[in-house]
Parts: sequence; C-alpha cells; structure tokens
Amino acid sequence: MQHPAFPEVTYQHHMDDKSFKKRIIRTTVILTIVTIIELGLGLLLYALNLPDDFRRMLIKGCIIILSLAKAFYIVSVFMHLGDEIRNMILTIVVPLLLFIWFIIAFIADGNSYKKLKNKYDPYFKETTMPKTNH
Amino acid sequence: MNTVHAETMSVAHDVHDHSRHGHHKESFLTKYIFSQDHKTIGKQFLITGMIWAIIGGLFSVLFRLQLGYPDETFPILETFFGKWAKGGRIQPEFYYALITIHGTVLVFFVLTAGLSGTFANILIPLQIGARDMASPFLNMLSYWFFFLASVVMLSSIFISTGPAATGWTMYPPLSALPLASEGSKLGADLWLISMALFIVSSLLGGLNYITTVLNMRTKGMSMTRLPLTVWAMFFTAVLGVLSFPVLLSGAILLLFDRNLGTSFYLDQIYINGVVLPNEGGSAILYQHLFWFLGHPEVYIILLPAMGMVSEILSVNSRKPIFGYTAMLGSMFAICVLAFLVWAHHMFVTGLNPFLGAIFVLLTLLIAIPSAVKVFNWLTTIWRGNIRFTPAMLFAIGFVSLFISGGLTGIFLGNSTIDIHLHDTMFVVAHFHIVMGVASMFGMFAGIYHWFPKMYGRYMNTTLAYIHFWVTLVGAYLIFWPMHYQGLAGMPRRYLDKSGWVSFSQFGELDKMITVVSIVVFAVQLMFVFNFFYSIFKGRKVTNPNPWGANTLEWTTPINPGHGNWPGEIPEVHRWPYDYGKDGRDFIPQTEPISPKESVTHKTEVKPA
Amino acid sequence: MEAQATTIQKTKWWGGGKSPFNVEYGKLMMWYFLMSDAFTFGAFLISYGTIRFSQNFWPDPNVVFNAFPGAGHANLPLAFVSLMTFILIISSVTMVLAVHAGHKNDKQGVIKWLAWTIAGGLAFLLCQTWEWHHLITGLHPVLSDGKIELIGQTTRANPWGELVSIEEARKALAASSHETLVHLAHEYPVSGATVTDPAALQKMTNAQLASMIDLTKAHVREKGPAAFGGYFFGITGFHGFHVFSGVVINIIMLIMAQKGVFERRGHYLMIEKAGLYWHFVDLVWVFVFLCFYLI
Repeated sequence: MQHPAFPEVTYQHHMDDKSFKKRIIRTTVILTIVTIIELGLGLLLYALNLPDDFRRMLIKGCIIILSLAKAFYIVSVFMHLGDEIRNMILTIVVPLLLFIWFIIAFIADGNSYKKLKNKYDPYFKETTMPKTNH
Repeated sequence: MNTVHAETMSVAHDVHDHSRHGHHKESFLTKYIFSQDHKTIGKQFLITGMIWAIIGGLFSVLFRLQLGYPDETFPILETFFGKWAKGGRIQPEFYYALITIHGTVLVFFVLTAGLSGTFANILIPLQIGARDMASPFLNMLSYWFFFLASVVMLSSIFISTGPAATGWTMYPPLSALPLASEGSKLGADLWLISMALFIVSSLLGGLNYITTVLNMRTKGMSMTRLPLTVWAMFFTAVLGVLSFPVLLSGAILLLFDRNLGTSFYLDQIYINGVVLPNEGGSAILYQHLFWFLGHPEVYIILLPAMGMVSEILSVNSRKPIFGYTAMLGSMFAICVLAFLVWAHHMFVTGLNPFLGAIFVLLTLLIAIPSAVKVFNWLTTIWRGNIRFTPAMLFAIGFVSLFISGGLTGIFLGNSTIDIHLHDTMFVVAHFHIVMGVASMFGMFAGIYHWFPKMYGRYMNTTLAYIHFWVTLVGAYLIFWPMHYQGLAGMPRRYLDKSGWVSFSQFGELDKMITVVSIVVFAVQLMFVFNFFYSIFKGRKVTNPNPWGANTLEWTTPINPGHGNWPGEIPEVHRWPYDYGKDGRDFIPQTEPISPKESVTHKTEVKPA
Repeated sequence: MEAQATTIQKTKWWGGGKSPFNVEYGKLMMWYFLMSDAFTFGAFLISYGTIRFSQNFWPDPNVVFNAFPGAGHANLPLAFVSLMTFILIISSVTMVLAVHAGHKNDKQGVIKWLAWTIAGGLAFLLCQTWEWHHLITGLHPVLSDGKIELIGQTTRANPWGELVSIEEARKALAASSHETLVHLAHEYPVSGATVTDPAALQKMTNAQLASMIDLTKAHVREKGPAAFGGYFFGITGFHGFHVFSGVVINIIMLIMAQKGVFERRGHYLMIEKAGLYWHFVDLVWVFVFLCFYLI
C-alpha cells in the first residue's frame, strides 16, 4: 500500500537564500576552526609527552568538549534539528542522556578490571605495565 | 506560514483515506503472505510465535525429564533424537542445547516478537484510529526479517553439531571458541546471525510503532486519551529501539572473535592443550553489552502484558482504570530505570563492589513504580462489577504472578544476598514467574480478549477456563518449589544434581515438577487447538462491541478490511475509561462530552 | 516572527489528527533510526573505551597515524586523517546545499550538489582504503622473544607497544633472522651507508647487516595490545560501511532526481532524509576521530 504524501511535507525553516548561505558558511568555518584547534591540542599532547596526570586529562577534556561542540553544530544546523519544534528536539536529545550512565559504568568497570588484574595477575602486570623510563 | 501548514495538516487524515482498500482485489499472496495490513501482520507474528512457543515448551519438557528422572532411560527419546539421547538418556551436549534454545526462543521469539509484535501491530492502529501503520511496507519487512531469523534458528537445530549450547546469554569465552564444545561450533554462528536478523526486525517494527503513535492518532486522540495498551506498546518500542542496537554491537564483536581472530572478549585462553594467541580482551565486556539490552528486554516483555492487563481489568471490572496518570508515570519510570540497572545480573563477575552498590540502589528503585502499578490494578478491580471472562482471569493471574515473582526480585537485587542466590534455581523461579509466566498470562489475556476482533469469532470458554486454572496452579506448582531448591544452593543449568547428598531431599520434588510441567504443556496444546478450532468453528460474534468496551477498535466492523473503518475515521472526544459513569455502563471514546456530565478525568474539558 | 510564534502556541499539536512535530512520518522514522544507530556506534566506542581502560598501556595515536601518501617515512602525525575529516565536513556542506536546493524545487541544484557529495564520499572511502592498506602492509620492527620481528597492524597483532631501549634492541639484532636484518638495513640505514640496495644487502652476513642499521631511526617497540587493531578496523570499518551505504543511497537519489521522480512528486523530501543519514555519518566520524586519533 503506497501512502499518499503527507500534506505536512516539511517544516519550511528557511530564511532567504542569502542568510541561509551566510549561516552555512559560518558553520563550516566554525567546524573547520574547531577541528584545527583539536588537532593542535592532539599534537600538543604528542609534543609535551606528559605523564598520565591531570594536565594530560585537562587537554583531553578540552578536546572532548570541542568535539561535542562540533556534534552540536552538525546536528543543529546541518541536520536542521535546531529548527524543529522543541518537543521533537527533546524526544531525540533526552534519550541520548542514557549515554551518561552507559559510559560511566562501562569505563569505571573497565578501570576496576585493570586494577584487579594488576593485583592478582602478575604476568599481566609485568608484561603490560609501562616502565618508568618514559 | 505556519498557520497555513497547520490548516493543511488538520485534513491530513482525511486525505489519508484508505477506505478504498477494502474494494480493490487482493491476491492470496498479498492478502495472507506478503500482506501490508497491520492486522494480518499481527496474526503472522502471533502464529509464528505460537509455533516457537510449542517448540520451546517441548524443549523444556525434555530437559525437565532429565532433571526429574536423572537415573531412568527413555528409549523413545533415542528413536527421535538419535545420538543426542544415546541409550534413552539426554546427553550433556543435548541438554545444554535444549536449555539454550528454550531460553532464546521463549525470550526473543515468543515473548518479544510474538507478544509485542502481535499486539502492537493489531492494537496500535485500531486503538489510535489509524488506517494502518505509518509505513505498512516496513511493517511487512519487520515480519519477514523475523521469519528469516526463525528459519536460521530452526535450521541450526538440524545441523550435525547441533544448535548453540552456550546458554541463552551466549557468554564468551565458551561461545567465542568453536573448539570449546559442539554447541559452540556452527550452531553459535547461526544463533548470532539469527539474532542479528531478529534485531533488524524488531527495529523496523519499533520505529514504525513509535512514529505511528506520534503521527497517526485520529482527531481528538491526544496522548492522554490513549488507552494504556497503546502507551505500553509505545514504551516497549522505545526500549527496543534504544537497547537492541547494543546487543547488535555485542553480537558483531562476538562474530569477529569467532571468525576473524580478534580479541574483544578473549584473554589468556588455554584450551585442548593449546595456548590461544588472543590477548587483552574482556569477557565481562560482553556481559555488560548483553545485559545493557538484556535488562530492558525484561520490560520489553513485560510492558505489553502490563498494558493489556490494565485495559482488560478496567473493561471487565466496569470501572475506570485507577490512576491513569500514575500508570503512565510508572511505565515511564520503569523505562528509564530499565536502562540503568543492567549490571545487577553481574554482581559476582568481579564487578567493582562500589559500582555494584549503585546498581543495587537503582535496582531497588524499580520496586516503586512496580508497586504503584500493582496497587492501581488492585484498586481498579476493588468493588468492581467483575465479569470473570477468560481474559479477565488471565489478567488477574498476571497480577498475582507479577507480585509473587516481583517480591523475590528484591532478594536478588541485593548484591550481598545475590552472592548466595546467583545461578541457583531461585533465579530460575524468580524470572520464570515474574517475566516468563506472567507475560504469557498477559499474552493469553490479550488473545482471549481480542480474539473476537481478530477473527470475528469467540474462543471456546470451557476450554479456556480449564486452560486458565491448570496453567495457574501448574505454574505455581512448578516454580514455587524451585525457590526452596535455590535457597538450599541447588545450581541451575546442571545436567544431574542427584550426586549431591545435600540435594537428595529434592529428588521427589523434582519428579513432581516434571510431571506438572508435562500436564501444563499438554494444556497449552489444548489452548492451541482451541485457538485454531475457533478461527474456523468458533461461535460467531454478532455484536461489534462484545465486551462493552470504550476503545476505538470496537467501533470498526466485526471483520474490518484493510483500512479498518469503511467510512471516515471516528473522532475521539474523551479518555477510554469512562465505565460506570453517571449511571451509564460505558461511554465509548467517540461520544462527545455532554454539558451535564460529571468530570472524572482531568484531561476532559467540558464544552463551554 | 512574533505572529508565527503565537500561531504555534495556539495550534493544538498533541490533539490528534496531525503530526505533533509537524514532520512527515518518514523523516521522523529516519531520526529515530539514527538515534538507535547512535546506540550501535555508542556501544562500539564504549566497548573500545572499556578495553582501553582495562589496559596498562595504550598506543599513542600520534605514533600510529603519522603517514601520508607519497611522503615516505616523514613523521606527519594526524595529517592524513585531518584531510579525511575535512573531506567529510565539506561533503556534509554540499549535502546541506543539495537539501536546500530541494526545498526550492531546483532540480539542477540538487543534482549538482548531490554529485559533489558523492564525490566527497568516494574520496573519503579511497582515503580509508589507503590508510587500511598502509597499516596492514607496513612492517614495523617489534621485539618478541628476544629477537626482532617485522609485523603490520592487523586484527591479531599490534606493533605499537612501548619503545625498546637501544641497547636491548642491539642485543636482539643478533638473534634476528637474515630477512629481518636486510629489511631493517634497507629501511633504516646508518648515515653514510654505501649499500642500501636489497639485492646487495642479501649477500651480507648478519653481523655486517646489524652494524648497518640505525636503531635510533628504527624505533623498535614491544608488541602492543591486540585489541587495538580489532577495534580500529572494526569501528572504522563499520563507519566506512555507513559511508559506503550513504554513497549508494545518494547515487540512487541522484538517479531519481535526474529522472524527475521528485519533480513529479512535487517535493524533494527523500533528499532531506538521505541528507539526515549523510550528516549522521559525518557526526559519527567526529566521535571516531575523537576516540581513535585525538585522545
């Protein structure tokens, strides 16, 4: 059974051509610049060769936040989610909150597994633990 | 601009009129096989699910024979199963294959596809006032992917190394190493492929259910006027769409480990005198991925039953459902919590105890919405004018089982008590009562209640009453004693427990359980007979609304064609639970609210 | 704008008889499909994170991904993957423009921008092929059981473990096979070496070869965690599969647009849905890029 096209074809969320082009160019520039900053930070990690301490975590945290910003721009502008009705945005964004506990619990247990192995499996510890000659 | 759109849209459903579909000619193939009619697809899901239920049930009878009579031989088994039952004894490999396929089939094929596949398909469009699903074509594909999954699973039973025999959870390393056992060979690959196809099916179905409920409701059918069945199916679909992909990922990684030499789940394995090169994986990771689906899966199975039971209890008590909003809230809470508690299946895997404590807390929180629902059901039938139809009996049975099985969940949800109880018969008793049998009861209730809508005939009531009483008593006789076995430490999944002195006291009990399970299985066959007999020979329905219900499916003709309503789709003016209001037995949803009416539901606004 | 805002408020979005989001069902379905696909990818990436956190050592992406086509041994960390990222971003932009042209029922515009998007997708796939090929076939010296072996990055082996000290590597050279030494002397000759031709090197003795290898350039390492390869090929492969299917979808859209199917239909909604899928592929890449290349 072929459905006839819905009359609610699409939400015409467009301004005139000119401001649309402006918006797309602006987003492209933002995405490019953010990517370049991310790369810079990634290379900084390489260049500084920091030990696994909070400075390293701080830089990695910055990169993660920048990536989330990129994701926001792609979803909101390119995929036009920002132009939809608020309730629709919520039905898509709210379920994604499940990722918070998904990530925390998995990673925390992975980390705890490492500690267990280091404690009870000397072979694992000996073969994989980085030596101090960093 | 938006105004224009709003106006064009208000006529959306009139434009979207499929009444003509009743008229144009359909071939046998498009009407019964590759049908895009949601009602036919629902029936296809139901009948495929019933076939699987018979297979899964038969398997349980077979392994119950082994558990009840570990010292006896049944030569007839060898006639049927050859080397799998050499000398009339069920061989260990066969035993594990039986429990694996029993679990997989009942959980996924019967209680997921057979339950929500059937009733979401049949009820959603009928109860929200839609001609069909949002995408009938994808809906058809959803069934056919399920069919393919079924074919793959069925074929795995007949290969020379047998089907997967690694437990329905498919834990690696056993499931990841073809070297480990017969049941880890081709059967395990076919299991994974079948499951991947099944996930595609459930996604296609789930996406359809969600968009249909959101987009296709008839005029006046606001979300707070939806029958609880539709809400339940909606939440079920949401759970499936968000959790099945995670199992898909887990299954793909397992397939890679099995066939491409990766080490996602494997680490330091020594098998058959060989040290495997796999290193650095984590078998616990699979359990996390599996249970991230596995726990929501419990509610994917339970919620449709809960929704149908709510509806049936209200209709047959001739009373409004008690606490409609609380019911919604508790279903929503269950949905959210379903995703937060998966690791309570893994307390003894070496899970970090602190993390475990958080999982205990979140798990015990589920008791709150569950209790809300139970009390709402009880207060719904409280002082009701109850009609004990077969559907009503099964609905009440559902509530009873849900309480009995739910209470033992509190034991198991505590990580400290779980150290003693995990992997014992106590767990088997718990989840069979609360999830297995309870949901089967919900399914039976649904079938008896909506059979007149599906086939235009009634099922035989006498057989239905026998079915109910034997099944209810039998379910308790089978699973209640297992609690005692489990508390005594009797492990599940063991082939033969007669060697332990401490379990010798349960020998006779196990015999009793086996005998009862055979009786209960026979009664299910009687139900299947009743079902098929009634399709052709049952008493014909003459009243389009045989139960005096308010919901929209009873405003269609007795045998609705494709498109459901011959004329225009009815408009909805009230919530679906106006029973016994203002001295009237029931007021259908299509009846406008009169100015003289009393207000019983807050979403009903009197006309000015 | 204000007038519009009030009409939205007055409309009873949830009252039934219309879409509460003012969105056609197919687009809504695509959104929810993408949400569920996000959980598939999420599960993969979280599994990767879990394994990574359960290891004491994990390879530095800057060391693993430092090659560029045609640049030989030059150490150019992340340069190539930046190019790939940029290609994907640009193809996303061209897709936006195709969708926009669709809104204006501009058939030629749709065709033009879709074609560019397809080109971008193919370019990305080509880059990925090169990267995979380079990782799998590129041989790296690894210290294993007291001798040096040459292995590539596969699903079973990982050559990116910890750096081995020069003294240790020197000791291991003595136990290594002739083939390995020839390869190392060819790839990492000491400065001022006169013979680097493999055929000539073949004829030399092991001791001669060992003295001709510059171990400071060879970067001999231990074996790294095997799961690295599995996850890298698994996840980038799954993403690549999405890119591939996206390209196929876009080609179908291009043909349909060319034949005027959408023109007859009166709207280019299908392009919009294909666009959502394509942007999702780009979105996933943001996180793949983050998890495998940056941190």
